[in-house]
Amino acid sequence: MAEFRLPPNSRIRGGVTHRAPAGAQEVRTFRIYRFDPDSGENPRVDTFELDVSGCGPMVLDGLISIKASVDSSLTFRRSCREGICGSCAMNINGINRLACTTSMHELGREIRIYPLPHMPVVKDLVPDLTQFYAQYASVKPWLQTETPPPPDRERLQSKEEQEQIDRPAACILCACCSTACPSYWWNSDRYLGPAALLAAYRWIIDSRDEATGERLDALEDPFKLYRCHTIMNCTDVCPKDLNPAKAIAEIKKMLIERQS
Amino acid sequence: MSLRSPLGQVLGHGAAKAGVHHWWVQRLTAVALVPLAVWFVVSVLSLPTLSYPAVSAWMGEPWTAVLLMLFVLSAAWHSQLGVRVVIEDYVHARGMRTVALALLTYLHVLAAAAGVFAIIKVALGGAA
Repeated sequence: MAEFRLPPNSRIRGGVTHRAPAGAQEVRTFRIYRFDPDSGENPRVDTFELDVSGCGPMVLDGLISIKASVDSSLTFRRSCREGICGSCAMNINGINRLACTTSMHELGREIRIYPLPHMPVVKDLVPDLTQFYAQYASVKPWLQTETPPPPDRERLQSKEEQEQIDRPAACILCACCSTACPSYWWNSDRYLGPAALLAAYRWIIDSRDEATGERLDALEDPFKLYRCHTIMNCTDVCPKDLNPAKAIAEIKKMLIERQS
Repeated sequence: MSLRSPLGQVLGHGAAKAGVHHWWVQRLTAVALVPLAVWFVVSVLSLPTLSYPAVSAWMGEPWTAVLLMLFVLSAAWHSQLGVRVVIEDYVHARGMRTVALALLTYLHVLAAAAGVFAIIKVALGGAA
């Protein structure tokens, strides 16, 4: 059966509270999921009362401030701090989003931060995305052609053809969408998930690509593609305002259209 | 714990080249069920009484019997397709899944056959 409860060694137990220093001006309470694989202990939720008057406005600024001034063992991924690298995707107040583009002010006094749901946790807020990346690789996200490129210039696209791939190609692979999808939670071993399918779509509709048929063939599967039940959490959470649900629906339409 | 590469695990046994038919028939039956269900509810509610003679007389009309059969068959087919997805989603143990999918098919064929037989019997049998 699908696992609806966490295994015993993953259930959350207790936590440590770090009080705000006396004289703090603007205190926000961070409740952060902690897991240390080396300790052999269950995960816990630590409470950090942080004076945010001294740090930037985003959730990532708060996390960096905690790591710098309260607990240096707090572990999370981050890089660009401007919503383009996709590293700091995490579950913030129940919604998958990027810590660097989520303002603390829109979240209220208490900010609850967990790693992306239903993924193996490496440490604290760092999920293991190995399978997610393998799913991306499995859709062959690169240009495939028979026709050799023109010797004197690049392969051309019309403006309309470029506009078709413009949005889908803006995916930053943060994994917010796939890890928000219940179908992905239950069947990620066989379902490719919205992020990989959006990438597949981006290459299927690329006017320069000549492997469209093979790409559709590779998705014609009850699990790889058709585990999408149009729940649309993917589109709901996408921090880049992309529409994986629509891309999946378009793939399903193309598969039916090529039959009649 | 498997030492198979992540890409190898994801590629698995490849694409089954199936799913399109299931998806299409699920939509076909869904669209058919909308007018059929509305027709069924409106017709039953507008019968003067729900006594056996009144209902069997209504079911004895050719169009009624035909539409009722289509309703039963579409509903059974649509239900079979839908419940199949639920089982595939949640029942992961291979043996259990196969047994559940087989039982599901048998039960829906049984329900459809019983429904069609009941319609024919009442429609052609006249008054009880």
